[in-house]
Amino acid sequence: MNMRRHLALTRAGIMESLQYRLSTAVTLFANLIYLVLVYFLWKAIYDSAGTDVVNGMTFTDTMIYLILATALFNFLEMFVVWDMSRSIQSGKIILDLLKPMKFREYTFWSYSGGHVIQFVLTFIPTFIVVMIVTHGAINMGVNLLYFIVATIFALIVNFNMEMIVATICLYTESTWGINIVKETVVLLLSGASIPLAFFPEAMRKIVDYLPFRAVYDIPLTILLQKDGTDTIKGVLPMYGLQLAWIVILTICGTLFWKHAVRKITVNGG
Amino acid sequence: MENAIVMKNVCKEFKILNRHEGLKGSIRDLFSRDYKTIEAVKDVSLEIARGEIIGYLGPNGAGKSTTIKMMTGVLEPTSGEILVNGLVPYKERKKNSEHIGVVFGQRSQLWWSLPLIESFKLLRDIYMVPQKDYEEMLELYRSLVDIEPILHKPVRQMSLGQRTLSDILAAFLHNPPIVFLDEPTIGLDVSMKDKIRSLIAGLNEQKNTTVILTTHDMGDVDALCKRIVIIDEGKKIYDNDIEHLKSYFGSYRTLRMRLADDTWEERLIDESREDVMDVIMKKQKEQKIKDIQLQEISTEEVIKKIYEGGNRS
Repeated sequence: MNMRRHLALTRAGIMESLQYRLSTAVTLFANLIYLVLVYFLWKAIYDSAGTDVVNGMTFTDTMIYLILATALFNFLEMFVVWDMSRSIQSGKIILDLLKPMKFREYTFWSYSGGHVIQFVLTFIPTFIVVMIVTHGAINMGVNLLYFIVATIFALIVNFNMEMIVATICLYTESTWGINIVKETVVLLLSGASIPLAFFPEAMRKIVDYLPFRAVYDIPLTILLQKDGTDTIKGVLPMYGLQLAWIVILTICGTLFWKHAVRKITVNGG
Repeated sequence: MENAIVMKNVCKEFKILNRHEGLKGSIRDLFSRDYKTIEAVKDVSLEIARGEIIGYLGPNGAGKSTTIKMMTGVLEPTSGEILVNGLVPYKERKKNSEHIGVVFGQRSQLWWSLPLIESFKLLRDIYMVPQKDYEEMLELYRSLVDIEPILHKPVRQMSLGQRTLSDILAAFLHNPPIVFLDEPTIGLDVSMKDKIRSLIAGLNEQKNTTVILTTHDMGDVDALCKRIVIIDEGKKIYDNDIEHLKSYFGSYRTLRMRLADDTWEERLIDESREDVMDVIMKKQKEQKIKDIQLQEISTEEVIKKIYEGGNRS
């Protein structure tokens, strides 16, 4: 496969993101406020629990998990749904459809540069701060490598979910409500706002196999070496789940998108 | 030689929901299956040779954009055949788009926050243009327009004219055999229009690019197109060169006479029915004529007559 097109899009995405330096600073600041809130909320929860360990996680564990989840959220966040609905309304989508690339491929690689920048500007600084504050609670070993692979898979799963929701919006012609529902569901079921360890047993069993978990919970679990992921034997089933969802969502997303494009080409959108 | 574009009996229908009035009507629409069919393009056949510049005209809502969208592959015709560069566009949209360039008047395909040169580089890579061809193209651009001042300017800081110019350059960058220009001069000042016309003419001449131009500005047509196609209400009503257009309704000329009180009187004369000399002589019997001017009817006036329904009978 010739990567010239893809890397060119990544490069342009990086340059575009760098135009908006201020917005990165604002994101970091907003995170800080959010994390203060999270800190006091969970402090209260642990205080009222009366024990140091709740659901197998200490207060420090929970905080590290949630802080990194927030950082990961900023890094993985995509605006495919918003951008697509805007470009449909303005009619600009025609110009994107007329690029000599598959639309999904084109979209994915257009966003890739932004992710690279977000990773460097929000995730890495947060990670370093967590490292310093917790005096090395995170192991610096091969788990970092496992984590990066899991994050790339997470990115692809997340992109697929975004594309599917964006495609639904093509049919409904309204975006706001559907996107809010999607964001809430993802944040709740992926572990981005509450660690999955805190879910009731029955619910946990279901959530464990849903694609949302592949986005935030799996990379973080691997990074923090929980649930037996301190060996490759424990990591592989996690990758397996992520890859399974990548395959399923890619196939569904592609077919769904093809159907939607046919609708546009037949009825003029 | 093979034609750039062939359309045979192309029709395009849209199904749209019949909307009802008022709150009650809106609620009814939620469950309504009451569709009506609109025929946007009716039985249009067209052949366009390589290297031609075609003026594709018609009043607003006549079906111009729909035809263009079908040629680019974004819309699928309801019936009929289209071949662009020998490909069926809606079936092979990706492949087709490698060989066409598009400019849609008020939308830009450029990367908003980046300098123009970065958009060029990106398009070069997306269309897999060899570096040598890319440099030759930039050289050609430099010889046709002064691109240095805009090349390193972010697109969002450009004036509308500069942006349109940039978009046209971007559409030609991968040297496509066909370029679609949908109202490229909309909203531009006189000197920018002139620049853009000479740029299009220059590129067409140098690269033998087929250009399909839709516009409402007859200046564009007069400056660029030898052949024009007019559609109205989805039907092709005229397809010939621009000279023939002027005699489309008979040969009209405008006679202007300056009368004794220094006012000008204007009359549109159909030469197939009355003679110019007769009109002048008749007038001269009534009063003194100080000066006479005879003007060819402008393209704009002919088009206006056509749009206003000269041919709807």
